[in-house]
Amino acid sequence: MNRRIAIRNMALILGSVAVLPSCLNDKGKPVVALKHLKLDADQENVVNNLTETILPKTSTPGAKDLGINLFVFKMIDDCFDQKQQDEFMDGLKEFSAAVDEKYGKSFNELTPQERAAFVTGMEKQAKENRVKTQAADSAKKPAEPNKAENFYNTVKGQTVFGYTTSQYFMTKEVVYELVPGRYNAMFPVKKKATA
Amino acid sequence: MANLNIDSIKDRKFDAIVIGSGMSGGWAAKELGDKGLKTLILERGRDVKHLKDYPTTNLYPWEFPHHGEVTAEIREANPIVNRCYAFGEDAMHFFVKDKEHPYVQEKPFDWIRGYQVGGKSLLWARQTQRWSDFDFDGPARDGFAVDWPIRYADIAPWYSYVEKFAGISGNKDGLAELPDGEFLPAFPLNAVETYFSKHVKSKYQNRHVISARCAHLSKPNQIHLDQGRGQCQERTLCHRGCPFGGYFSANSSTIPWALKSGHVTLRPFSVVESIFYDEQKGKATGVRVIDTNTKEAIEYYADVIFLNAAALNSNLVLLNSTSHRFPNGLGNDSGTLGKYVAFHNYSAHINAEYDGAKEWTTDGRNPAGGGYIPRFRNVYKQETNFLRGYAAGFSAYRYNQTTSEGIGDELKNNLKNDDLSGWKVGSHMMGETIPKESNYVALDKSQKDPWGIPKLKISVDYDDNDAKMKKDYVEQMTEMFTSAGFTNIKASVDSRAPGLDIHEMGGVRMGKDPKTSMLDKWHRLHACQNVYVTDGASMTSTSCQNPSLTYMAFAARAVDHWVTNKGKA
Ligand SMILES: Cc1cc2nc3c(=O)[nH]c(=O)nc-3n(C[C@H](O)[C@H](O)[C@H](O)COP(=O)(O)OP(=O)(O)OC[C@H]3O[C@@H](n4cnc5c(N)ncnc54)[C@H](O)[C@@H]3O)c2cc1C
Ligand code: SF4
Repeated sequence: MNRRIAIRNMALILGSVAVLPSCLNDKGKPVVALKHLKLDADQENVVNNLTETILPKTSTPGAKDLGINLFVFKMIDDCFDQKQQDEFMDGLKEFSAAVDEKYGKSFNELTPQERAAFVTGMEKQAKENRVKTQAADSAKKPAEPNKAENFYNTVKGQTVFGYTTSQYFMTKEVVYELVPGRYNAMFPVKKKATA
Repeated sequence: MANLNIDSIKDRKFDAIVIGSGMSGGWAAKELGDKGLKTLILERGRDVKHLKDYPTTNLYPWEFPHHGEVTAEIREANPIVNRCYAFGEDAMHFFVKDKEHPYVQEKPFDWIRGYQVGGKSLLWARQTQRWSDFDFDGPARDGFAVDWPIRYADIAPWYSYVEKFAGISGNKDGLAELPDGEFLPAFPLNAVETYFSKHVKSKYQNRHVISARCAHLSKPNQIHLDQGRGQCQERTLCHRGCPFGGYFSANSSTIPWALKSGHVTLRPFSVVESIFYDEQKGKATGVRVIDTNTKEAIEYYADVIFLNAAALNSNLVLLNSTSHRFPNGLGNDSGTLGKYVAFHNYSAHINAEYDGAKEWTTDGRNPAGGGYIPRFRNVYKQETNFLRGYAAGFSAYRYNQTTSEGIGDELKNNLKNDDLSGWKVGSHMMGETIPKESNYVALDKSQKDPWGIPKLKISVDYDDNDAKMKKDYVEQMTEMFTSAGFTNIKASVDSRAPGLDIHEMGGVRMGKDPKTSMLDKWHRLHACQNVYVTDGASMTSTSCQNPSLTYMAFAARAVDHWVTNKGKA
């Protein structure tokens, strides 16, 4: 399937997320219309750029090409409850502050390489913290949750979910069958295609 | 109120009225239509036509606004129905939303409902097992509830009758505790399910793991093709409604069949408020309906009434049908109406891993869902400190696992290059609960629904027996899993409210003695012999098998009884 069609379909199904032409975005107003989240344009772009950092355009389409950034907004706006949304906003602020502390500028002002470096560092740190939390759990001492990491994990989780359930991914990268028309209960592993 | 001139009364007079168009009502209507009786089906919900009204059936994951997830707004507005595993973006249009039809929870009870033509038959998980004599004998033997007025032999031919038409897949397993039926080919067990089955058979007496029996057309017969149904395509998207008619639903099977007979009229948007009783004639003469669109009250008349509104709603209709003769609800001379409600207990699970059978996996999808472990406790003798027993689901699966580590190309590669996981196994308990007088439903004295009908008040709870049974399930399954060499065994019990298993039963129970029961052995009210109740309300005890097949058999049998004995009643 033509990638443009995939993108158009993605925009169509995003329903309530109205995308305005970007030239209107010059007064700090966000371009996506959200019902619950209160984001300014900078914050919105942090999320946009973060999804694109996680899933950049390479030889295959990236988050923005596929509208995954919009999907992430939609999911957090529609499917997260108030508490989760508050945590998301708190995390977004701490994430931005952490970037500022490290680079003296905002995430949106970083080069793609810098963004990737920062995010990779955060992934590594999150992994270490997970190990620590597990150790803390067994010692019955809850570790302090890192809000910036939680924010990052949320955006990453939704980006991955949106991507792996996108038409692009399910038709081009793997084969999804709505109707298999078969059930083989004893199937040799050797025969299984690794798509 | 409609004008009660003679002509319109004639228009509103039928041979038979069926209340409810779901799993059991569909069967009553089909049988009545086949026998040539002029029949009216009254359904409170909207019409759902096979094929036409399955809006999500062919949607890909990305075609759902939230790729399948339920929004926070809908979750928060529907804390009850949202607990049902099948309530997702793809099937939620077939569930009753919490606010639409409120009820009173004297104790927490998750009442999961589908109000539409087809009722819950669109949503069910299609597991179908017969009951055995161990089940029908149970109350008499153990001394709980009252004796059933029927035995397996009474209902066996009717199981066969409905199985042939509905289409049930299964193996002839030859088990006394789970009688064989008229089966289409079974969906086979996979490598690890087969391994566990063999292991259990060799190690335990009278314990079995069999292919789950389910209402899918694995290989349709002519009678299924005649219904316009086709072979199951193993999509396992059944809750959306199946465009192939691959599984049994009233919408794909009994209702269109009934309508095709030319004798049956379907009236959706019609809430039955009550059944009225004519003291002179000593029988019920009709029903009063509230049209949900116009709020108009209309009366319909018939020689016989089949009440199939699903267990608790059938209780509600009878409780609300009062008269000089029956001040406490139609047919309620015994005072048992609304009482002895029981249900199934699905609140324990167990999961584990299996390191072997690495050379095997599965391909495609299994509509039956895997294996079934028939009840093995207290079957041949009372051997535990609790009454009755439990069945269990059992399934093994491998999945394509990916990691979402990294970003950029690394992440993209990780997501598309999956790796087959090892085998995981899981089971959930399906326990029988004991009908008790203290578990009841009643009309709320002050609150009414939007149609002016009293709200149903539900007061149902677990008891000590349930706790003991649950403990035993966890112990026995842990032992069976351990001895099979499964590892990383994790049992979990949840604290769900009753009801979530969606197998609520009783309140209008059958029994030999009119002093302690509502229905006779033909499912007629002892005290009003032209009203039949053949849904879950009629159950004297609950067994641990899935109940719907039994409701279908009861409905077909009851219609046959009416037609053969009409006028003699
Ligand atoms: C997710 C899910 C999984 C399930 N899995 C299984 C399974 O694997 N095996 C199994 O055996 N069972 C299963 N069940 C249960 C099964 O669906 C029910 O047992 C069965 O549908 C009950 O049949 P019924 O005819 O009594 O009620 P329903 O099928 O619910 O039909 C009752 C109908 O009556 C209508 N009605 C109610 N009140 C009135 C009134 N006052 N006037 C007019 N109409 C009225 C309703 O709108 C409805 O259409 C499952 C159910 C669900 C939801
Ligand atoms: S598994 Fe069978 S019955 Fe279910 S949706 Fe698919 S074809 Fe229909």
